[in-house]
Amino acid sequence: MIFPRLHRILAPLLLAGLLFVTSCSTQAPSRWDQAQQESTQKPAQTTRTQDRAGAPTGKAVGGGEFNKFFPSASGGYERVYTQEKQGFAEAKLKKGGKEVAVMSISDTANNPSAAQKFQQSSQKIGGYPAVSQGSNGTAVLVANRYQVKVQSRDASFTQSDREAWLQRFNLQGLARTR
Amino acid sequence: MSKSIFELVDELPTDNITIRTLRALDFVVPGQWENVVGFTNTIRHVTGETDEDLIQQIGERAIYLYNDKSQGYQRALWLYQTVDRADSALGAAALANKVGDKIPLVGGLLNRVTPKPNKAQAIDLCLKLVVELVAFCQINGIPGDSIGDFVASLGEYSGESLMRMAALVCIDGLIPLGPDFILEAQSRLAQTTPSDLEQNSTFQGVNSLIPGGSTPGKLNFIGQSFDSVKGWMSNFVADRGLTPEKVVSNMQQFVEISNDKLDYLAAFLDMTTNYYEHTGTQTLARRLIERAAAEI
Repeated sequence: MIFPRLHRILAPLLLAGLLFVTSCSTQAPSRWDQAQQESTQKPAQTTRTQDRAGAPTGKAVGGGEFNKFFPSASGGYERVYTQEKQGFAEAKLKKGGKEVAVMSISDTANNPSAAQKFQQSSQKIGGYPAVSQGSNGTAVLVANRYQVKVQSRDASFTQSDREAWLQRFNLQGLARTR
Repeated sequence: MSKSIFELVDELPTDNITIRTLRALDFVVPGQWENVVGFTNTIRHVTGETDEDLIQQIGERAIYLYNDKSQGYQRALWLYQTVDRADSALGAAALANKVGDKIPLVGGLLNRVTPKPNKAQAIDLCLKLVVELVAFCQINGIPGDSIGDFVASLGEYSGESLMRMAALVCIDGLIPLGPDFILEAQSRLAQTTPSDLEQNSTFQGVNSLIPGGSTPGKLNFIGQSFDSVKGWMSNFVADRGLTPEKVVSNMQQFVEISNDKLDYLAAFLDMTTNYYEHTGTQTLARRLIERAAAEI
């Protein structure tokens, strides 16, 4: 008959149900958990320079210092500064009122691992090592420290546009910045 | 323990009264606001990148930046959250009472809604403006109380930031204070004493991050900020031919309310929406991701 068998499976069934419910009440692991944990365990310091051993050597360059090295707008383009933080400056490039690209200068003292991708690079733009990133980004590393990047925000802005605009930065002036 | 940025963006809702309200305001800034939710989704949306390794790097850098308190991003989010508390129980009750697509703002629901006096409404409008200014500076940089730079940047506002300002003008300006809301707000503000300000519950919430030092100093800063932005608001309204009637008739897509009960509509929207928090979180995520994508 069914009932004795049901009796035998009921307890394990209920136990399995209980385990299922309690495991569902904790959050599923996320691809971001490790970064969250690492950046909250000790005070996150994202704007200090570090030497190769990791000891702090001073502050990253103020973002305002970078503004003058951005290319000026011409040929129907408009440049609008959008962000300026310690070690970082960003400007939008617009054409006909529409955002077509984003330009930025960042001090890799804030984020040393960002400089690593240039080590393998054989390409040069403006005399500095260059890399492509993803489908929309091109960057150069100036004086082994400042990352200058142009990212497309519209399909009309191609890789060769990015390379052309990178060359318009005052890269040599930037190289002299401390 | 406060939430991580990726949880906050992952948990952005896809449908509630805030979303319905913002959709009803699409006519003001057509196509500017898409309700982009989800942290990974926002990275893809902002950068256009699909490479998962790159997305992972960008997201991790954004998380690091957000968790570094000295960067100011957490302060910006706190401001957006604090200035715009919503009564989610009331919102849920309202949606539960829907007849077809509309919420009938009548009977029991109406009884739970208390219209705010014009003075309090005016102060709230001004406080939201100041919060936008301070949050903008925390997120994007520039000295903390640079009113002039902020006003200049308003011309560049787009997407969810522009929608937030449109909603401010409509929900916190036109509906509760009428077509002359700018003059009304200015005159109410002129009559506000430091003591009045200190008694305002919204001010009590965000007080610590408002520039100006003392309460009289903060009142002065609020007045200067409003003064500087009123030209932009006035043009915004004039360029679009915005009136309380136009806004209300679009709200009537999802709220059943008679035209003689606008103060109840204003209060209902105030109590059940958190459009500052919602779009503020989206703005913050976008800026973080932009910076992270540039820095990796």
